Amino acid sequence: MPGTEITRELYWNVVGTGFPVARVLSYVLAFVAVVLFIRGLFRKGGLLEHIKMMKLASGPDVPRVDNTGERLKFAITEVFTHRKILREPYQGVAHLFIFWGFIALFFGTFMDFFQGDVIEPLFHTNILQGGFYLGYSLITDLGGILVLIGVIMFLLRRYVNMPKWLDDKPEDKIILWLILVIAITGFLLEALRMQATELQPGNPMNQYVWYSFGGRLFALLFSGLSIKTLKSTHLFMWWFHLFIVLGFIIYVAYSKLLHIFTLPANIFMHNATDNPALLKAMPPEMFETAETFGIHQLEEYSWKDLFDTEVCIRCGRCVAVCPAFMTDKPLLPRDVIQNLRDHLEAKVRLAVDASGKVSLIPEEDYKGPALIGDVIDKDTIWACTTCMACIEACPAHISQFPKLIDLRRYLSMMESDFPAEIQDVFKGMENNSNPWNIGSHSRADWAKDLDVPLLSKKGEAEYLFYVGCAGALDDLNKKVAVALAKIFNAAGLDYAILGTEEGCCGDSARKIGNEYLYQMLATTNIEVFNGYKVKKIITMCPHGYNTLKHDYKELGGDYEVYHYTEILADLIKNGKLPLKNPVEGLGTMAYHDSCYLGRYNKIYDQPRNILNAMNSGTLVEMKNHHEKSLCCGAGGGRMWMEETLGTRINQKRTEEAMDAGIKTVCTACPFCYTMLSDGIKELGKSEEMQAFDIAQLVAKAAGLA
Amino acid sequence: MNAVVCVKQVPDTETLIKLNAEGTEIATEGVKWILNPYDEYAVEEAVQQKEKAGDGSVTLVTLGPDRALEALRSGLAVGADTAVHINDAAFAEKTDPYATAVALAAAVKELEYDMIFCGKQAMEDDAGQVASILGELLELPVVTVVVKLEVSDDKKTAIVTREIEGGHAVIEVPLPAVFTAQKGLNNPRYASLPGIMKAKKKPVTVKTVADLGVSAEPMTVVKSMSLPPDRQAGKMIEGDDAAAKAIALAKALHEEAKII
Repeated sequence: MPGTEITRELYWNVVGTGFPVARVLSYVLAFVAVVLFIRGLFRKGGLLEHIKMMKLASGPDVPRVDNTGERLKFAITEVFTHRKILREPYQGVAHLFIFWGFIALFFGTFMDFFQGDVIEPLFHTNILQGGFYLGYSLITDLGGILVLIGVIMFLLRRYVNMPKWLDDKPEDKIILWLILVIAITGFLLEALRMQATELQPGNPMNQYVWYSFGGRLFALLFSGLSIKTLKSTHLFMWWFHLFIVLGFIIYVAYSKLLHIFTLPANIFMHNATDNPALLKAMPPEMFETAETFGIHQLEEYSWKDLFDTEVCIRCGRCVAVCPAFMTDKPLLPRDVIQNLRDHLEAKVRLAVDASGKVSLIPEEDYKGPALIGDVIDKDTIWACTTCMACIEACPAHISQFPKLIDLRRYLSMMESDFPAEIQDVFKGMENNSNPWNIGSHSRADWAKDLDVPLLSKKGEAEYLFYVGCAGALDDLNKKVAVALAKIFNAAGLDYAILGTEEGCCGDSARKIGNEYLYQMLATTNIEVFNGYKVKKIITMCPHGYNTLKHDYKELGGDYEVYHYTEILADLIKNGKLPLKNPVEGLGTMAYHDSCYLGRYNKIYDQPRNILNAMNSGTLVEMKNHHEKSLCCGAGGGRMWMEETLGTRINQKRTEEAMDAGIKTVCTACPFCYTMLSDGIKELGKSEEMQAFDIAQLVAKAAGLA
Repeated sequence: MNAVVCVKQVPDTETLIKLNAEGTEIATEGVKWILNPYDEYAVEEAVQQKEKAGDGSVTLVTLGPDRALEALRSGLAVGADTAVHINDAAFAEKTDPYATAVALAAAVKELEYDMIFCGKQAMEDDAGQVASILGELLELPVVTVVVKLEVSDDKKTAIVTREIEGGHAVIEVPLPAVFTAQKGLNNPRYASLPGIMKAKKKPVTVKTVADLGVSAEPMTVVKSMSLPPDRQAGKMIEGDDAAAKAIALAKALHEEAKII
């Protein structure tokens, strides 16, 4: 075994011969730190007290700890690869460095303990020697350097290049300075030791000093100092470093550093259903029995909703991507979560007795701020477009916007308190099963001059073409429905429509919070679908797609649902739909991702594949695309509401298209098509720009229009 | 403050209207029925007056077949307390505003009221007679097309603003009285879910002609109804430029429309 001399003396300069006072003292101090850390968790206003409140939360939830193996695999992958954190490269890399750096340092410290206090006393041998020692040295030094780089990157971001959406509380900077001091004192400590030992002439370690490259570099500071000075400085630095590290451990329980534990736990408990933006289930029988609907008190949330608030470290990624925030509306998803957290803390304070027992405060006895109005403003509640950018962006797997839908449910169903223009929308859905309140008898008029089979006449078909309200009734989007019918006919697809038997899918009603109306609309559709034994459905609208595919399952409607872009991409690929005529005049074009196709259902490629197959125009991307695509502003029922606060989201998106030099904006959603067509008109760009639904372009390319 | 609101179930304003084979009535098949929109203002006003007074009750009265119960439920869902449903096969065959008013008056007489509200007219037949005949039969003053209503502190009179051509008239009237509601009187609320659920349990009394001790004989008979002619499709004027389009437009106005 080569190189028993390749090692270092543990507790060098700190523990001499005789009774190891410093050694024992450092363990006593570490023990005290751990006790203080645990006390921090159990303190008044600490995590454990909050968890007592969470246990009282009554809201329903999906299973969170089932399929443990799968969940564990998922959590470990997420945590160790930083998959979501790395979506923001700068912050992602900085965090990755600190994360892996600390793991290396933890390994180093653990090995010190293991060798010094387990192996040596029990086996009187040294495993920290030779090649293993050099590897250990290299890894710990690398870890320290990574931490140092990462924390400096974060400090630069906070002090030099602070984004306007980033929250800035004292703890944010305290944590960074603590980490910086830990890393630097660690290196100084190593450098002082090396300068006094390994770097002295004739030391057998001379040739290996660069395995501790961090310490070697820091040692340049101390060249020329006397051994005595080095030793006394080292001793001071040793205790200083120890105190800072132990302080850091205690601080974990008192700060957002607790995310080291809570965040992996939250990832483990992630939403594992196939419904990406899960809303609370309201079983139909609940409408007959429950006395209150939606949420107007904190405890009506689910325990997981409340745990979410504990996990948030205010990174602000949800804010940066929120279309409402970008257009100066009073909605910052992070603040929704943080306000809920503060409210939780305040309510716990009122609800806890001297013995530490937390009990529910009866509604009539509670005099504090109201959840709706005080904690979360109504304008905030109504500003959300349910675009899911917040959920998609959140590395902590927090579910942000569905918490607002719970509040909308209360406002809509209990108080009839919604933007005034919504009343006509609800009435239209109730009386004519569409938000425009156009006579339901005219739902098939768009197909009058076409050869579109009705399911009632045809009896059965492979696919039900569920047109949706916009395709059936809105003048702009009827053109898309017509294009699709022509394409289906030309490709020989076995399909049929429901005509006047079709009803509104209910998505807008649901996202506005009127679950009762949504379920009326949904169950009516499901009865019709099931009556015809429908198995496969093609939808024109991504909102119908998502609703029929995911939400109808809760109400007994289980179908194979396709968006038309999936069908067209397949028809083109299989040669059933030859696109022989390149479409003239498209110029530079971009596909605008629909939230309900992209983020909700991961359909990113099919629309782009279709556009590429047309051999027309030049397809590029706008600034925000795929997972980060910017909403058109119409989701979540916002299509039917006035946009009086801030600037208009559709114009913001149109400006992004302008900035990218886009001539043709391609959509695959009737809401997006409407909003972006309007955006182009509103900004006076009708000469330079145009919007088309992909189906219209395909019909042209196939020589059908 | 007790109020009675006379309501009617009418076809949805957007529904496709067809006539029966004889052309004397609206064919009811496939029709979506709603509470007459003007009656919504009437119900809302009655509920608001009750809420303002802090006591009393609102009773709905309707005349119609079984399906009219839905209209009553939607009124009960927004705050009315009870309802009377005059449901008699005799009315299904033939009725007119007079026969309707006679039946309503008989039902209303059995109730307690300080105010009676009606919509200013039913959306489908636009007769606008029932409220006036009802007032006459009950020997009460009638104020039509009301857009604002304030009850005096002693609850003996009401100051009422009604719409007149090009302006408003303010009228004082002793209570009880009959009022017909015009759009603008208030903003009818959207039924809350608890309201809808409670409405299912609120009492609805069914009355027949015999119960009321009246005759269902109408004074008028509808001889025929006709639908307006189908609207002609718009015509796009084609032309290479503005001048050519203008010439084509002038030609069309002169030769086809014969306006110029």
